[in-house]
Amino acid sequence: MNFIVFLKMVPDVIEELKIADDGKQLDSDWIRMKLNECDENAVEEAIILKEKFGGKVTAVALDAPELDDALFNALAKGADKAVKIIGEWKDVHSPAIAEIFAKYLRDNNLIDNQTLILSGSQAIDDIEGELVYYLGELLNLPAFGVITHVDYDSGQNSVSLVKEFAGGLRGEFSSGLPAVLGIQASENPPRYIPIAKIRAIMKSAAIEEVVIPPDGLPAGTTIEKMFEPETTGKAEMLDGSTDEIIEKLIGIFSDKGII
Amino acid sequence: MDPVDVNILGVQGVYILWVLTAVSMFFFVRRITKIIKILNRARPENRFDNFKERIVNFILYVLGQKKLFGERTIGLPHFLFFWGFVFYAGSFWWNLLRGLIPVLPIPYSDEVGIITFALEIMGVLVLLSIIVAVLRRIFFPPQHLQQSFDAVIILSLITILMVTLLLGQGYKGTIEASVWSPIGSIIASGLSVSENTAVDTFKAFWWIHIISVLFFLGYIPYSKHMHLLASPFNVLFRNNSQPADLTIKSNSEDIGSGASKWTEFTWKDLLNSFSCAECGRCDRACPAQNSGAVLAPRVILHKIKEQMYETGFNKNGNGIHEIFEDKISKEELWQCTTCMSCMQQCPVLNEHLPVIISMRRFLINQGEVEQTVQDVLQKITRYGNSFGQSDRNRPKWTAALEPKIKDARKEEVEYLWLTGDYAAFDSRLQSITQKTAYIFQKSGLDFGILYEAEKNSGNDVRRIGEEGLFEVLRDKNTQQIKKSKFKKIITTDPHTYNTLKNEYKLSDNGDDVSIRHYTEVIDELINEKKITFNNKLNIKATYHDPCYLGRYNGVYEPPRKILKSIGVTLVEMPRNRAKSYCCGAGGGRIWMEDKTPVKERPSESRIREAAALKDVSLMVVACPKDIVMFQDAVKTTGNEGKLEIKDISELVFESMK
Repeated sequence: MNFIVFLKMVPDVIEELKIADDGKQLDSDWIRMKLNECDENAVEEAIILKEKFGGKVTAVALDAPELDDALFNALAKGADKAVKIIGEWKDVHSPAIAEIFAKYLRDNNLIDNQTLILSGSQAIDDIEGELVYYLGELLNLPAFGVITHVDYDSGQNSVSLVKEFAGGLRGEFSSGLPAVLGIQASENPPRYIPIAKIRAIMKSAAIEEVVIPPDGLPAGTTIEKMFEPETTGKAEMLDGSTDEIIEKLIGIFSDKGII
Repeated sequence: MDPVDVNILGVQGVYILWVLTAVSMFFFVRRITKIIKILNRARPENRFDNFKERIVNFILYVLGQKKLFGERTIGLPHFLFFWGFVFYAGSFWWNLLRGLIPVLPIPYSDEVGIITFALEIMGVLVLLSIIVAVLRRIFFPPQHLQQSFDAVIILSLITILMVTLLLGQGYKGTIEASVWSPIGSIIASGLSVSENTAVDTFKAFWWIHIISVLFFLGYIPYSKHMHLLASPFNVLFRNNSQPADLTIKSNSEDIGSGASKWTEFTWKDLLNSFSCAECGRCDRACPAQNSGAVLAPRVILHKIKEQMYETGFNKNGNGIHEIFEDKISKEELWQCTTCMSCMQQCPVLNEHLPVIISMRRFLINQGEVEQTVQDVLQKITRYGNSFGQSDRNRPKWTAALEPKIKDARKEEVEYLWLTGDYAAFDSRLQSITQKTAYIFQKSGLDFGILYEAEKNSGNDVRRIGEEGLFEVLRDKNTQQIKKSKFKKIITTDPHTYNTLKNEYKLSDNGDDVSIRHYTEVIDELINEKKITFNNKLNIKATYHDPCYLGRYNGVYEPPRKILKSIGVTLVEMPRNRAKSYCCGAGGGRIWMEDKTPVKERPSESRIREAAALKDVSLMVVACPKDIVMFQDAVKTTGNEGKLEIKDISELVFESMK
């Protein structure tokens, strides 16, 4: 089979985030990028499927800081090829990213009837998980998001899928190939790759670079203004003996009109 | 009177002796050759340096039997077994040679007065030792002592050897009395036999004796008493550079990939298994084993030996499967806290830890690691700390301090202070770290920190088996430390202390950079009268020796001296100093979850030990991880309000107020 996994680097929210002076984007001095968590699961799922059914895994991403680490990591996990799409990718959102990825696939004639295209089902800057559906639309392929289980039937050349819905509901789907899948969680949690293995891959493998001119990309949404999360009421600790605390609580409850 | 001069069923004694010797030597040499071949198939490792130190070890631990005296009942008896063995072995070869070659112009050993005397006295002492050993095995066997049939055979053999020797001397004594034969004379005085009978009986005992020894010789390499041949070499080739050295001393890449079967260990790793006497001292000291876990250090070595025996005696080793399949479970490998008690206790200086870490390395290289540990390793890889926080948060604990702590990256300091992750990030520990800083500041110490540039030191990462990540961390820290100008290094965490002191190379010219634990520095400051105590504490407390400070690096006294100077009366726990009992956090255990139900966590056992001390309601520690582990254990053992856990810095701080 032919697995193509699209990856994306997103701001690491462990680091302190600052809004830039223009109020429309994050201050790039303060952000560190990391691989989108769902994408990590998409890589894992592709590797698991490859191990089960054979084939080739290609990891593809738009250039971004710290992307090389993520791509080498994918190679160390078992991906066969890593591709970096070169360019200044500022202010590109899901519709535009889908356009670039679709162009990459078409230009290189990468889709055959054994192809499964995977990506994370959402990202912190794509909470709705639009990318997968834009891709499906552009490539005219069936697309499914929030997938937690994939199985391949070689006789039928089809995949059976489990998709999660709100409220703990799940649905089972079957689709022919090629198809686009948004992975929510891989079969097993992403595996650990020892540093020695990543270092070895860095020496032995190379990341392929591809240029796709950013012409005629749809703008999609534009950001008008970013906000820091607003702090609403803070917690208050009550001191004193148990009786005093009860006394204070009764006071607070009656002040708020609860009792 | 030549005991070989006999005629059995028409065959002369000397021919019989030749045949018996040949059979015994055949079995002995065959087995030993096989074992040497096995060691040859293992991975290479250079253990031939430091000749002088090796000889010193040999004198202390082989000739002096130093570690054996750690257990009182069996210390002296084993010492006598050993020297008895050496002496009797000498006498045996002498007599055998004389017996095999009758034309040799030398007497038998028991025909030389002084030797006879020594043989007899030694014989009695060894018999007494046998009685102690047997009583110990029957009436008060220590836990984990292997009560094997092997041991029964060997003890019986030694008894036969001694009894035949002494009785033979007795019968000989009825013929010719000698002042050199006190025991023989005593026995002879109770015998009334004709001269012919006496000669025959003497010869009969001589033959039983020599046949027993020949059987012993052939049997040793097939039994647990292989330790008697292997352990002297084990001591000679022990690692002298540092405690539980994990350095990969080989150019071959595959050593870093760890071991999953006996052929992937180094020859010295395998020699451990042959040296093991199955005494169980390591298992008795092991916190994992005592908490009800599967892991038993002795069994690990034993299982490797089993695999060697099962597959090593065949010529080709391709068919050897992973040792995890049927011998050693992956689970037990992760149960090790790397406290090094096993190695501390081992009388033959076996090195269990490198063996365990070797297998962990293999598992890590396969990506086999439990989720919580994987998370921590990934956090350390990305953020440089095990808490998964932004490295900008590392110096947050300093924000409240006045004056501001110097930035050692920007200005020269006398002391460069590395706190390690726990002291810097854990909210329960930050106030303690602040108090340590206060002590340094008040005593006028010129010190600085690396702020967000410090990374996890990698001590525990290495012990998890993630050698690659350890190297990355070591290189990053080394680079940063080398860029800073300072004279000495202070560490808070004993784990950091250990790896910096023993596993980092911080100077280019090979000089040692002085690494201190904060207790050593505070002790020095007290000695130099730079700290004034306004408020002596007048309390009783006990002190817990952290593994990586005490057992690993021998720092036992500075914390005790500090406690004394601030007015604390120290009440020692039964397990103190080198016998200190691990809190259970080391070797990455602090990041793992107990999968099987535990009988009693190591930290809980330790808390109960401290709580049992009379009039003691405070346990002092000198390791950030101890605070975390023991404060939890105080709660789970229901000792809240009865026992308090404090860092030594907190007490110093209180007494300075």
